[in-house]
Amino acid sequence: MSSREPRASGYFRSSYDQGLRLIETRTQWTSLIAFLLALGAFPFLATSFQLDLACQVFLAVIGSIALMLLTGYAGQVSLGHAGLIAAGAFTAGILFKEFGAKFWITIPAAAAMGALIGLIFGLPSLRLRGLYLAVSTLALHFIVIYLGGEYETKRGFSTGIVIDAPRIGDLVLRDRKIWYFVLLAFAAVTLLISLNLLRSRTGRAWAAIRSHETIAEALGIGVAGHKLLAFVISSSMTAVAGALFSYYRGFVSVEAFSLFLSIQYVAMIIIGGMGSLLGAILGAIFVTLLPYVIEYAVGLLPNARSYAGMLAAFNYSAFGIVMILFLVFEPQGLVGIWRRVQNYFLLWPFKQKPLGGGRR
Amino acid sequence: MSALLRIEKLEVVYARAITAIQGITLEAGKGEIVAVLGTNGAGKSTTLRAVSGFLGLDDARVTEGSILFKGDNLANRPPYLITKLGIVLVPERDKVFPNLSVVENLAASVPARGADRKRLEEMAFTFFPKLSELRGRTAGLLSGGERQMLALASAIVCGPELLLVDELSLGLAPVVVEDLAQRLVEIRGKLGITILLVEQNAAVALSIADRGYVLENGRVVLDGDAARLKNHPDIQEFYLGGAGERRSYRDVKQYRRSRRWYG
Amino acid sequence: MQLAINIAVLAAIYALIACGYVLIYRVSRVLNLAHGELMMLSAYLLLTTASLFSKNPLIALTAAVFLSLCVGVLVYLFLMRRMTGEMVLAAVLTTVALGVLLRGLVVLIWSAQQQNPAQALGWANYSIPVFGAGRISAAGAALIAVTTLIYAGLFLFLRFSRYGIRMRAAGQNPLLAAQRGISLHVIYALAWGLSTFTGAMAGILISLDSGLDSTMVLIGLKAFPAALVGGLDSLVGALLGALIIAAAEVLMIYYVDALLSDVVPFLVLILMLIVRPWGLFGTREELDRV
Repeated sequence: MSSREPRASGYFRSSYDQGLRLIETRTQWTSLIAFLLALGAFPFLATSFQLDLACQVFLAVIGSIALMLLTGYAGQVSLGHAGLIAAGAFTAGILFKEFGAKFWITIPAAAAMGALIGLIFGLPSLRLRGLYLAVSTLALHFIVIYLGGEYETKRGFSTGIVIDAPRIGDLVLRDRKIWYFVLLAFAAVTLLISLNLLRSRTGRAWAAIRSHETIAEALGIGVAGHKLLAFVISSSMTAVAGALFSYYRGFVSVEAFSLFLSIQYVAMIIIGGMGSLLGAILGAIFVTLLPYVIEYAVGLLPNARSYAGMLAAFNYSAFGIVMILFLVFEPQGLVGIWRRVQNYFLLWPFKQKPLGGGRR
Repeated sequence: MSALLRIEKLEVVYARAITAIQGITLEAGKGEIVAVLGTNGAGKSTTLRAVSGFLGLDDARVTEGSILFKGDNLANRPPYLITKLGIVLVPERDKVFPNLSVVENLAASVPARGADRKRLEEMAFTFFPKLSELRGRTAGLLSGGERQMLALASAIVCGPELLLVDELSLGLAPVVVEDLAQRLVEIRGKLGITILLVEQNAAVALSIADRGYVLENGRVVLDGDAARLKNHPDIQEFYLGGAGERRSYRDVKQYRRSRRWYG
Repeated sequence: MQLAINIAVLAAIYALIACGYVLIYRVSRVLNLAHGELMMLSAYLLLTTASLFSKNPLIALTAAVFLSLCVGVLVYLFLMRRMTGEMVLAAVLTTVALGVLLRGLVVLIWSAQQQNPAQALGWANYSIPVFGAGRISAAGAALIAVTTLIYAGLFLFLRFSRYGIRMRAAGQNPLLAAQRGISLHVIYALAWGLSTFTGAMAGILISLDSGLDSTMVLIGLKAFPAALVGGLDSLVGALLGALIIAAAEVLMIYYVDALLSDVVPFLVLILMLIVRPWGLFGTREELDRV
C-alpha cells in the first residue's frame, strides 16, 4: 500500500516518478476493480442492519485515517479525537439549528471548524512532545465537550440537537442505500487525499519529523509548519466525519463523544497497525464491529436476558482485553498479521525471515 | 595464574546482520589489570557489553563462543544477574546519578551477595578521600574527574571481583587520568580484584596494566605483556604517537608480518 | 471560610491521587492513565471486604488497602513488565487499555449502581464544625490527615531509605541502576504497589465521603493536571499543583458556573503547558526524552 514496499519478486522501478504511481501492476488493477465491484454490489445484497454497519464502518474509516495521518505518520499523539468529531458534529448541528443552513454549507463549515481547532490543538505540539502533547489534546477534548454541553443547556436542547436529513432538490437523504454510497465516497476521497499526501513531499516531511525532529529541522524541513499542517488536515477530516455522523444519526448530543470514543479511535490505529493506511481501515472495521460481535456472543450465553443491561460493561472489558493483547503480542497490528501471511505465501515453500525483521 | 574471566572465540552480531566481533579470545587472571586497546569501532565496547550483559539493548547477540567467569558461561545473560555474580561495569558516560548526592549514589549500589556493605563503603572513601569532603554534593555538580571517582567508588560498593572500566581517560585532563590510574592500581592491590580496562589512550592503559590486547576490526591483532606491547613498533606508531617515520612499503610489510606473528 | 475548607479537602484529594501518577512516572517514565480506574477498583474492593468483615470495619479497611497494593504489583508483573523496553507511548496506551478493562470488570462484578461503602462499614459521615463558621465532613478531615501522612512518609522513604534512593536512581538512569546491581523489576513493582496503595487510600476515602460509582474515574483524571502542573516527577510539585487546581476549581464553581468543574483543571493544565510545559518543579530535559 502506501509503504511502497517492493512487490512480488523484486524492485523494478527505474525512476523516481514510478515510485509515485498508485497502481503499478495489472494484478493490482484487476484486484482493485474486483474490490470496487464488490463494494458497489454490497448494498443490493445486504440487509438494512448490515448496511448500517457498513455506514458506521465508513464513518470510522474517515476518522481513523485522519488519526493515522497524525499519529501513525506525523508522529503526533492525540487523545482528543472525540473532541474533534464532536466539534464537527456540533458545527453542523448548530448551523442547522440556528441558521437553517444546508448541508453544502455545514459540511465545509465543519471542515473549516476542524481546521481551526486543529490549529489550536496543534499549537502545543510546537513546544510539547509525546506524552505532554497527548495530555494537552486530552485537555482540549474536555474543553470542546464542555462548550458543546454548555450550548445544549443554554439553548434548552438538554437532550440533544435534532437535525433533519439533508436534501438535494427533492431527494431526501434518508435511504440507507444512498447513505452507503455517500459515505463510501467520502471515505474513498479521504483515502485518496491521504495517499496523495503521503507519497509526496508532505508525507516524507512527516516521516522525517516522526523519526527525529531535530534532524528533520537540520535537513531543512519546516518542522513547525508541517506539524501544524498534520493537525489541520487530520482535524478537518475528522470534523467532516463528525458532521456526517450527525446527519447520519439525525441527532447530536455530547453524550456520544465521551473519552471512550477517543480511546476507540486510538485503538483502531493500534489494532490496525501504526503507520499504515490499510491498518487504519482494518482497525476501523475491527473496532466498529467488535461491539456487535460481543453483543452476539453475550446473546449466546445461558440466561442472556439477565446480562442485557451489562452489555456496555462487556464491551469495555472485551475492548480492554483486545487492546492489551494487541499491544503486548502484536504491536504491528492487523497489518502485521496480514503482511506475515502475505510473506508466507510469497516465499512458500521457503522459510525465510527478512533481515532485521522480527526482533528477538 | 588461573583465569577469572576467559572469553573464547567470541562472536557478536548486531541486528542479525553486522558482525562486530569475529572470534576474540582473551583472558584475565585473578588480580590482574588487563588493558584492551583499539580505535573506534574496533570492538572494545562491544566486548565489554557482551561481558556485562548489555548487548540486548542494541539488538545484538553473542552468536558464537563463550564468556566464562569462574567457569560459568555468561553469554546473553541479563545484566542484573551478572552484577550479582560480581562483575561491575563503570560505563563510558552517564556514570553517576546526577540528581542524587554523593552519599546517595553510593547507597544506591547493591553489594554482591555476602559482601559487607559498611566495609566496602569505608574502602571507597579511603581510596577516594576527596569524596568524603563532597558527601552532600549533588553528583550532577561534580567535575569530570570527581564524577569518575564517584563512579569507581560506587562500583567498589557493589563488591566486584571483576571491575570493567570503559574509557577511564575520556574527557579528563592527563594529570587527573594519571591519578585515577594510580588509584586503580591501589584498588587492585587492596581488594585483589581483576580489572579489565578498555582504553583508547594506550599510554595510560599500558602504564598500569599487566597485560594488554589490541583489537582491530573485531579481532585481536596483538597481545602480550604490557611492557612488551609498549615497546612494540606498531603500538609505538599507531597508539603512542611515537616515531612516525615508517611509511615505506617494507614497513607496511613488517607491520603485517608482526600482526600475523602476534595474532 | 467554608471555601477555604473546600479547597483544602479538594487539594488533599488531588494531591493524594497525583502522587500515584508521580511515583510511577518518576521511576519508569510511564504515565499510568489507569490510575483513576485502579482507585475505583480499590473502593469497590472495600465494598467486598466490608461485607466479609462486617464486624470489624478496620480489618475490612486494611484488607482492602492491602489487596489494592497487591493489584498494583500484579499489574506490573503480569502486564507492564512486558512493556518495559517498548516505546513509552505503547506502555501508556497499555494503561489506557487496562483502564477500559477495569471499568468494564467493575460494572460486571459490582453493578453500575451507586454504592455506599460507609454504610456497608456501618459508619456515618459526621460533619464537624471548624473555626466556628465552617464545617468539614469526617471523611474530608481524614483525607487531609492521610494525605499529610502519606506525603511525609513518601518524602522520608525516598530521601532516606535504601529502597527509596534506589527508586530515585532507577528513575534517573535505569541502565546505570542495573549496572549497580539494582533489580529494576523489583523497583518498578514497588513503584506500582506504592502508587496503587496511595490511589487506594484516595479512592476509599472519597467513596466514604461521597459514595461510589464510575464517576470516580473522572476524579482520577482531573487529578492528573495537578501532577502535571507541579511537574510530573516532583512530589512537592504535585502538592502545590493540587492546591492550585483545587483552588481554581472551587473558586470557579463558586463565582462562575458549577458546570465548569470538570473543565477547570484542564484549562489550568493547558495554560501551564503553554507557559512552562515541564511544570513548576519538573526537570526540564524530560521533554526530550519522551
